[in-house]
Amino acid sequence: MGYASTIKVPFGPQHPAFKEPEYFLFEVEGDLVVNVTPRIGYAHKGIEKAFEQRNYNENIYLAERICGICSHAHATCYTQAIEEMLGIQIPPRARYIRTIIAELERLHSHSLWVGIAAHEVGYDTLFMYTWRDREVVMELLEALTGGRVTHAMNTIGGVRRDISADIIPKVKSGLDYFEKRTKEYLGILKTEPTFLKRTEGVGILKPEDAVGLCAVGPTLRASGIKNDVRADDPYAAYDEVPFNVVTLDGCDVLSRTLARGEEMLESIGIIRNALDHMPTGELRVRVPKVVPPAEVFSRVEAPRGELIHYAKSNGTAKPERYKVRSPTLANIPALCKTLLGVHLADIPIILAGIDPCFACMDRMVFVDTKANKKWDLTMDQLKQGVNK
Amino acid sequence: MDMGETEERLHRFLKEKVIEFKVPRERRIFVRIKKESFREVVEYLVNTLAFRHLSTITGVDLGKEIELLYHLAHNGAIELSLGLSIPKDNTCISTITDLIPGAVLYEREVHDLFGVKFEGHPDLSPLLLPEGWPQGVYPLRKEHSLDELRELMSKKWG
Amino acid sequence: MIEFLLQVLIFPGIAFLFALAFFYEWIDRKFFAKVQNRYGPLYTGFSGLLQPVADFIKLLSKEDIAPMACDRILFFSMPILYLILPLMALLIIPISSQTSLIAFDGDLIFMMFIFTLITVTVFLAGWSSVNRFSIIGSVRAAIQMIGYEIPMGLAMIGPAIAAKSLSISNIAQWQSSNISWGIWLQPIGFAVFVICMLAELEFIPFDIPEADTEIVAGWRTEFSGRKLALFRLGRDLEIVLASALITALYLGGAQQLGFVPPVVIFLIKTVLLLLLFSFLRALFARLRMDQVVSGMWKYLLPMAILQIILIQFGVGV
Repeated sequence: MGYASTIKVPFGPQHPAFKEPEYFLFEVEGDLVVNVTPRIGYAHKGIEKAFEQRNYNENIYLAERICGICSHAHATCYTQAIEEMLGIQIPPRARYIRTIIAELERLHSHSLWVGIAAHEVGYDTLFMYTWRDREVVMELLEALTGGRVTHAMNTIGGVRRDISADIIPKVKSGLDYFEKRTKEYLGILKTEPTFLKRTEGVGILKPEDAVGLCAVGPTLRASGIKNDVRADDPYAAYDEVPFNVVTLDGCDVLSRTLARGEEMLESIGIIRNALDHMPTGELRVRVPKVVPPAEVFSRVEAPRGELIHYAKSNGTAKPERYKVRSPTLANIPALCKTLLGVHLADIPIILAGIDPCFACMDRMVFVDTKANKKWDLTMDQLKQGVNK
Repeated sequence: MDMGETEERLHRFLKEKVIEFKVPRERRIFVRIKKESFREVVEYLVNTLAFRHLSTITGVDLGKEIELLYHLAHNGAIELSLGLSIPKDNTCISTITDLIPGAVLYEREVHDLFGVKFEGHPDLSPLLLPEGWPQGVYPLRKEHSLDELRELMSKKWG
Repeated sequence: MIEFLLQVLIFPGIAFLFALAFFYEWIDRKFFAKVQNRYGPLYTGFSGLLQPVADFIKLLSKEDIAPMACDRILFFSMPILYLILPLMALLIIPISSQTSLIAFDGDLIFMMFIFTLITVTVFLAGWSSVNRFSIIGSVRAAIQMIGYEIPMGLAMIGPAIAAKSLSISNIAQWQSSNISWGIWLQPIGFAVFVICMLAELEFIPFDIPEADTEIVAGWRTEFSGRKLALFRLGRDLEIVLASALITALYLGGAQQLGFVPPVVIFLIKTVLLLLLFSFLRALFARLRMDQVVSGMWKYLLPMAILQIILIQFGVGV
């Protein structure tokens, strides 16, 4: 028994397949994966401890920056939690505006993902085209909120900016263009033979595994389980705006792709509906200064799945405990299950299939030495500057 | 199964095991139980009441005790947060990975950051903390302040 | 003698071929970009024409790192070999006249041999790098060759049978004197040959040995600086070789049409083929190894055999 029959292939932390650092060690026999060991925590920033050091207003900005691509989802989840603790209801117009921005964020996140998925299988042409059309959504977000990625729309008690009537036609024409292009790309994805060969039947996640391993989001819905926080546990304006929960039965990467594509079309419908039925009224309510002792569990459907914030206050200006669980972490056990027994060449597309956002996932307490270093240096420099 | 029915069945099952039972709004239940009845209650929730989705496990440092909150969802709609306290000098609790396989990473996370040992867990190796992290320093416990952790890191990794 | 040397060294020899290699890389990148709604190279020279040259010079000036565990002889010699082989092969294809610089009976077989050698070079380059990604890439390149080598050989033999000669120059001349090109005499052979050339050049959908999202850069991972510059130039020369070979065997080669010199005809035909390659490259996703090999043995090989059978029955002669 001299030779090791398995080769250990490391993926990461730096790897062309990854947009963010993570580490997976694959044991490969020939071309098939026999074992996978994930190691996460490379983008760990110490946010949960940081939440405890800041007051509730400052924490809005911290919550937004947990992740770039789901920033509004985190901000909504946070403000919802604090509003529930304070026992206030935000005005209807604010709820609708939150919904519109959330759905626009879902659009740009999913279209980014479709491009990445195409790139992972070498289909660069589709990658270029989807990202070109994604610019339409980014420009709409910039016109509405002032920022392409971090929107700073939410505040405790409502939203900060209004959607004025003169910007609505622009939004609608942008959505019309985007819808046309999305339908065309969905058509291509369903019929392009080389793409189908790479994604159909690849990365199967059986429904019972999806439920047992607590998967969330499009990964779960592509295995036939109809769970969506917007429908099951409505927040913002989702109980008033009609939409369908997209569920597919394929259980493979192709289903996850198509699920996200169809969700994009649903989102466009939601935005149109919300724009047409937006109630008039104020944007925010006055908020009591002190948050009473309470604990709250806030849930939001981020583009990647169920996002959870748990907040506990003790009557002071800073939270006692703030816990964030983002959807990518929930999908990792399911991901490891789908990776067993696949070809080496399928690894990137399966990894991409859960739409990983490792910035969101790693955010708990303290690890990133580099971030620490920068912070220390700045403090030292500040101290030096002051003492001069 | 809707909220009313869930509450009723829970009340009937829990009886004296419960320390606290709160329903702050629709689709949210907060239950705190004694540590001894943990396994029994979880089995009832998962198998009989079909709270199969574990959203996450939260750890809270209460000073002398660590509180563990298991957030379970029924059909994606009703969220039940099951809380129990374990003393800091004996942070052992049974795992629930046999009932809910998806709990593996959440238990590892709490183990990393609070130092809670889950008996029966298949693999409690570090999940988030880097290699070379000092043993016994659990970052999310209140006794470690932010400055202390920063100093630790700068000493270790410059 | 002097004239021959000048021809070999300058036109239509080495210098001309290098210039052509850079030019074709520019066409490929520009067309590929346009299909993807991008600009491609834009600033260096007119519309980015000098970009490939700039890249080459930049690579020459970069640090050349060799891993300590590598097999030094192979690691250092494979780039040079990879550059020389296509160059040698191009000398036996007619470029500026009806006959190539070096023509002999049987040079078609020599061409097949060079293709095999190129793949062996690729394999050894990855193997000597002692990096698990390189090894996987080089093994994939070898496996891919197992798929396309036989159909490629059969597709090359087709025109040879029709022209009753094993010399590329003769085949080209036969097509122009017969006023019928291989492409419409033996269209199946043409299609098979184009697909095999895509695989040989490692273009999508066959770029599995170099799949950047899976194995970093495949067999090229450990090469940097001068060696990488030689590999890139060698690859560009391979593109010229592939288009030139298909032109000679199926498109009538470098003919004299009216008063247009043969080299211009050659350029037009090869550029058209290059555009076809680029277009196919932009159209598809990357196929997996087992799909490539099974597809080639299940579909490509029978089609190539079918073409040969048709020729035996007198169709396409």
